[in-house]
Amino acid sequence: MTRAALALAILAALTGCGGSGTGGGDSNEQATVFAASSLPEVFPKIDPEATYNFAGSDDLATQIREGAPADVYAAASPKYPDELYAEGLVDKPEVFATNRLVLIVPKGNPAGIESVDDLRKKGVKLVIGAEGVPIGDYTRTVLENMGASDVLDQVVSEEDDVKGVVGKVSLGEADAGFVYVTDVKPVADKVTAIELPAEAQAEVKYEIAVVKDAQHHDAAHAFVEQVLGEQGQATLAAAGFGPP
Amino acid sequence: MRRPFEVLLAVSAGLVLAFLLVPVVALFLRIPPGDLVSQLTSEVAVDALIVSLKTSLVAHAIVLLFGTPAAYFIATKRFRGRAAVLTMIELPLVLPPAVAGIALFAAFGRAGLLGGTLDAAGISIPFTQAAVVLAVIFVSSPFYVRLGISAFEAVDPRLIEASRTLGAGPRRTFFRVALPLAAGGLSAASALAFARGLGEFGATIMFAGSLQGVTQTLPLAIYAQLDLDFDVALALGAFLVVVSVAVLLTVKLLPSWTRFTLISLAPSARTDSS
Repeated sequence: MTRAALALAILAALTGCGGSGTGGGDSNEQATVFAASSLPEVFPKIDPEATYNFAGSDDLATQIREGAPADVYAAASPKYPDELYAEGLVDKPEVFATNRLVLIVPKGNPAGIESVDDLRKKGVKLVIGAEGVPIGDYTRTVLENMGASDVLDQVVSEEDDVKGVVGKVSLGEADAGFVYVTDVKPVADKVTAIELPAEAQAEVKYEIAVVKDAQHHDAAHAFVEQVLGEQGQATLAAAGFGPP
Repeated sequence: MRRPFEVLLAVSAGLVLAFLLVPVVALFLRIPPGDLVSQLTSEVAVDALIVSLKTSLVAHAIVLLFGTPAAYFIATKRFRGRAAVLTMIELPLVLPPAVAGIALFAAFGRAGLLGGTLDAAGISIPFTQAAVVLAVIFVSSPFYVRLGISAFEAVDPRLIEASRTLGAGPRRTFFRVALPLAAGGLSAASALAFARGLGEFGATIMFAGSLQGVTQTLPLAIYAQLDLDFDVALALGAFLVVVSVAVLLTVKLLPSWTRFTLISLAPSARTDSS
């Protein structure tokens, strides 16, 4: 009963945001894809017909656990797909892309930040992903690799997904934030990206899996094949993603 | 013919009630009450409780301090554009919270309308507890002011006049006549505004961000804990339900506490008794 009630609430939320993505057409043949917040610029180009729900990978995992009607799950980290696989909720996940982190600052760079070291300057407002959110965990890994975990003291907000970080920096309200390199392109006129040392990078793997209870099972498999196929990989590469 | 219709009405009422109650009850059934309490003592929960309490109390004090005279002024004065003023006060009530968040950025953000002025004064609001307080005031004060206006309007104007003709100045009239007579309505307005402020989410997460111990209020903590520790999220949710019930009870009980003073004075009540 409790599960049913929660699923109902989630369903209501989903139909609310999914409505704009689908036309009025017959959506029965289309896969419902739950995808990480770093993918809205790419997935609709690979398959414009599918129904999308973009959110933090962790939130999506919670929604799938609560019985949300997902057919495909694409996450910005192997963590959650692997967990769902172990719980028997999704088929074996496959790596479909890789990514890397960059530091972004608003155009005009009000705090004068040129490197991670500059983040230590007094009064710098740093925005990062929250712990447990892939971008947040990767950010902590990168900082640790650089021996710069102390800059976490400058954090003014921990966002629930990468778009929250991008939004606050591109608005110019935060001085800097760590995001995926693929998040930069859509806001290239508002932010400047600062590359991070290759040896400090976290291993950012994107995994995709068909949901076990998928209502549109065939469409789900077709979608995953499309993403792993030539056209899908080319679209991902064009958006800045690395090969699996 | 009448029977089936009555049944239909009863079924509809039952459905509505069940739909509204089931999720709330489910929240409490999901984890045992003992765990519920122990989760509330986790660090995240305690930090969120403190942040919420602090910001809500400060915001509420400001709302009462400025909202009460503002409501009295609007309720008792007839001026040009009064209808427009009332509409403006009601606007934040219907505004989506995300719009409130972005509007606060547009006004008080670094790149906002007042950003330059504030910056020159060495003040930076976004991502601070002051930002939480502003967000809470923005969404809760309309409740208080709008309902407060109604409360003052319900005071018989002849009593105000009588007070004035008997020699009391406007200040004395406000404190000794208008305020006590409107107290019941104002308290209810105050409780509702406080509850709305405590539940503030959208404007806060945008304008103030979410940082444990600084700007992460109870609703923000629920959102952040949803994937980290579902039990903590549930416990915080259950706690807010309890607070909300307490607020509703206060609102329902307050008027009856003060009713006996109003019965003999309120215009509607007087017509009833005559």
